Amino acid sequence: MNKNPYMPILATISSIKLESTGERPIKTFKMVLQDENARKNFSFLPGQFVMVSIFGTGESTFAISSSPTQKDYIEVSVLKYGKNTQALHQADVGDTVGLRGPYGNSFDVKGWEGKNILFIGGGIGQAPLRSVINYTLDNRDKYKNIDIIYGARTTKDLCYKDEFAEMKQRDDVQTHLSIDVEEEGWDEFVGFVPANLKRLNPSPKNTIALTCGPPIMIKFVLQNLEELGFTEEQIFTTLEMRMKCGIGICGRCNIGNTYVCIDGPVFSLKQLKKIEGDM
Amino acid sequence: MVDQKLLVEEVKKIVSQEDVKYVIGYKKGTYGFAISPAFAYSPEYVDKFIFNPLCKKNLAVYPILEEKLPLKKGEKADTRKIGVIVKGCDSRALNQIIQEKGQKRENLVIIGIPCTGVIDQKKIISKFPNVTDYTDIEEKNGNYKISINGEVHNIPKEELLADFCTSCVAPNPVIYDILIGDEVEPWEPQEHNNLKELNEKTIEEKWAYWEEHFQRCIRCYACREACPLCYCKECMADMLTPQWIRRSVNLSENTAWNIMRAYHLAGRCVGCGECESVCPVNIPLMELNKQIENDVKEMFNYTAGMDVDEKPLFGMFRPDDPEEFIL
Amino acid sequence: MESLVLSKNKLPELINKISSEHILYGPTEENNYSSFKQILNFDEMNLSYLLSRVSPKSILFKQTETLFKFIPGRKGSVKSSEIPEEKSVIFAIRPCDARSFSILDGVFNGDYEDPFYISKRKNTVLIGLTCNKPEQNCFCTTFDDSPGSSKNLDILLTELNNNYLVEVVTEKGNNLLKNMRSLLKEASKEEIQERKEIEEHAISTINRKMNLEGIVPKLDKMFDHELWHNTAFKCIGCGICTFLCPTCHCFDMQDEGTLKEGARIRVWDSCMYPEYTHHASGHNPRPARMNRVRNRVYHKFSYFPKNEDVTACTGCARCIDYCPVNIDIIDVIDKVGAILIE
Ligand SMILES: Cc1cc2nc3c(=O)[nH]c(=O)nc-3n(C[C@H](O)[C@H](O)[C@H](O)COP(=O)(O)OP(=O)(O)OC[C@H]3O[C@@H](n4cnc5c(N)ncnc54)[C@H](O)[C@@H]3O)c2cc1C
Ligand code: SF4
Ligand code: SF4
Ligand code: SF4
Ligand code: SF4
Ligand code: SF4
Ligand code: FES
Repeated sequence: MNKNPYMPILATISSIKLESTGERPIKTFKMVLQDENARKNFSFLPGQFVMVSIFGTGESTFAISSSPTQKDYIEVSVLKYGKNTQALHQADVGDTVGLRGPYGNSFDVKGWEGKNILFIGGGIGQAPLRSVINYTLDNRDKYKNIDIIYGARTTKDLCYKDEFAEMKQRDDVQTHLSIDVEEEGWDEFVGFVPANLKRLNPSPKNTIALTCGPPIMIKFVLQNLEELGFTEEQIFTTLEMRMKCGIGICGRCNIGNTYVCIDGPVFSLKQLKKIEGDM
Repeated sequence: MVDQKLLVEEVKKIVSQEDVKYVIGYKKGTYGFAISPAFAYSPEYVDKFIFNPLCKKNLAVYPILEEKLPLKKGEKADTRKIGVIVKGCDSRALNQIIQEKGQKRENLVIIGIPCTGVIDQKKIISKFPNVTDYTDIEEKNGNYKISINGEVHNIPKEELLADFCTSCVAPNPVIYDILIGDEVEPWEPQEHNNLKELNEKTIEEKWAYWEEHFQRCIRCYACREACPLCYCKECMADMLTPQWIRRSVNLSENTAWNIMRAYHLAGRCVGCGECESVCPVNIPLMELNKQIENDVKEMFNYTAGMDVDEKPLFGMFRPDDPEEFIL
Repeated sequence: MESLVLSKNKLPELINKISSEHILYGPTEENNYSSFKQILNFDEMNLSYLLSRVSPKSILFKQTETLFKFIPGRKGSVKSSEIPEEKSVIFAIRPCDARSFSILDGVFNGDYEDPFYISKRKNTVLIGLTCNKPEQNCFCTTFDDSPGSSKNLDILLTELNNNYLVEVVTEKGNNLLKNMRSLLKEASKEEIQERKEIEEHAISTINRKMNLEGIVPKLDKMFDHELWHNTAFKCIGCGICTFLCPTCHCFDMQDEGTLKEGARIRVWDSCMYPEYTHHASGHNPRPARMNRVRNRVYHKFSYFPKNEDVTACTGCARCIDYCPVNIDIIDVIDKVGAILIE
């Protein structure tokens, strides 16, 4: 074990996929740990995050977007923003990055066996959900209905297009995509994600709802889910706060006395309502 | 000396105006010689307002600190004026900010107080350590008359006067809507502290002198936050791309910071002494500021913040424009 | 606990002996304030100040710390990480500052251990000095502490009329003094009594007190109270209160270096700065000074008590003394206490 929790282990980028080409593009990076032992020992659960380093630029927090059922590698999907995410977007296959983690709590995928799972994602918020989606699809017999509601601003901003196309071919998962404004050739829903949710009117019976996306979307999705009869215990989301250490020491990720890096990032709506703090 | 009653009366009138949001002034602090900035939203609150030689803080920093938060649905922007009490140097700061278009003149109600110099907190505390309260303090015949626990102490003015006041060029407010009290007779500005001796040193000696100071800097940036003229939207010291100054706290980065700060205030600094007096590690920042002030005066015959209609010295300088890099 | 005495003129010898065997930090004077620095010789020390300006947390939790070194770039790699192993002694630390380490231990040794702080903490002997003359804003007694408390120390010195009373509190302290015994002798009853009186007198001069009763549940009801707006108006966001505070532990992490070699460093940061919580997306959960002032108060007086079972304040009063606008933490907490909420 590494005794210095700030020191990353090395990983190689083994493939890069351009997911969306909007104003702020998203790329998915597949990373393989360089050390064989580390590779064997690395395990994580859906919902957890890692800290990715570009040496000389810095470190950033990303949800693991691949599923733990996919061994040997992990994936993160990165929206291009500032210093580190720009540097990552310039990286090539074969480049070395540093990894710390996995950190944080996770979605209780084991506890949800035998239930319907409803995913509601927006924009880059789909990244942590993708980990759970792929996990449940890889353990398809353990779950009942799986529904995925996902939306982005424009078709260009939609993430994981190929994967959604594949899912469309399957009859054991229903996808419901949307874009915010009308575009030519788009034959699915036009409008915001919360509206799409309302329209689809899913039943709360024996269902777990997972949502992640921009704060404003989450706010209305939560509202709509409750209106649909989902209880606070049936709704889960993951939160984002600026992070540095990821391990509960540097102090910055707190919302009230909750530290998102160690107490989160996954929270049930019930837990969320108890937290009083700046979000 | 300011008539306390007149001050309260006049400020009450201003706070009562419909188009005024609040007035910023001074009140007694919670302990010892401490003074606290005070915000009066309504006339009752003005009863706490005071003005005495301890009121050193430059309140011109506050209008700019007002956060412009996104408005909630149905909420209207509050465009009422802000009233602020200023001494000579403080008024120059407002002038400078208005020149630079950092604030609009019509958004301010400027309440001027002619000043005869202020007391340096550090000096008075070392003279009277552990004094928990004072009853009165006033300037009389070249002395500060301080009443503590029923005892009156007369301390020669120069023993407590803040250093930067000796070089003041405008003790009377240069911009105001109302002046409280009569204008005072300006004094002959002196060379700041040991600036003269410092100037006689060799380059190497000067570096050594400043290195000794800069190595202590803890890079809290309090000097920046306290300065009414440090109001760039994003300070170059905070930028990540490009990163002008590294975060490491060491001599080279500290030097870069301190020099950058001083130069970004060239032709803008009004000599109010805030930066130096808040610095937790006693770096004599005013020596840097004053040197640059002297240079600017010599080269351009310019003194910052004297005339609101004048163009700023670096005419094109826009505080929120990182490209206008004048170092 | 063993009570010994050291005659005043033997202090230099004791100090020089310690500094010849250990890295010794002690208070020095520079530019009219006190700061802890490495001491090679007794004469470098200045014991006339009560507190150092920057708290001695800076010794165990350095303002700039190299977390590890690396080779930068796309083919970069991790080079090394050195956890400090040095054994050190902090001399003349005041009881309140010593208590700050007990508070910080929980942070640096929580779910994860911070090897930098913890290693130094384990390898550091704390020699305290009783505050014979507390200053006007000191309020350590609010926290069941005292100007003469040895609770968080390995050794406590108290300046008596002619001697120092030396109380050996821990095994660590005992080991340090092992080969310095010749300088010390058994304390007499009178000397122990004198020390007691000094402490009692010091306590009696502390005239500030914070009323902590019921503050944690009260704060739970006051998150949206206007008090935070009213307090934050005058805050200029300078960060002094957090940089000087012995219990503030927040830091930033950054990559620095040349094209050939780099280091990931951490540096002190402060929740009083707007950038501290600013997301890349532009969203800021604490956009106003109100949010930040409130966070500082809550972190110390609500979140810490809830998470670590201790109030993160020692009563050192640095934040009171050096806040340029007189935001006085005792005043703020007392206001919280006084506000009526059903
Ligand atoms: C739990 C968690 C999961 C996340 N998952 C993803 C994901 O799957 N995909 C994705 O694209 N983004 C994700 N983010 C956001 C991502 O961390 C930031 O967008 C990223 O750090 C911005 O870095 P930058 O250097 O490009 O931006 P800059 O603005 O240059 O950031 C400077 C520094 O600020 C910090 N920072 C800034 N914004 C954030 C933020 N929102 N969260 C955390 N640290 C921040 C970083 O430490 C960074 O080093 C996640 C954040 C958290 C907290
Ligand atoms: S206030 Fe002093 S210590 Fe802080 S950054 Fe400025 S010069 Fe440095
Ligand atoms: S640099 Fe210092 S003296 Fe000059 S205006 Fe700013 S705070 Fe005042
Ligand atoms: S909050 Fe203030 S009084 Fe309390 S420990 Fe920190 S600096 Fe000292
Ligand atoms: S959150 Fe603020 S108050 Fe709390 S330790 Fe960090 S800097 Fe200090
Ligand atoms: S020291 Fe005072 S003004 Fe500065 S950040 Fe702290 S509370 Fe605000
Ligand atoms: S990221 Fe450092 S405490 Fe959470």
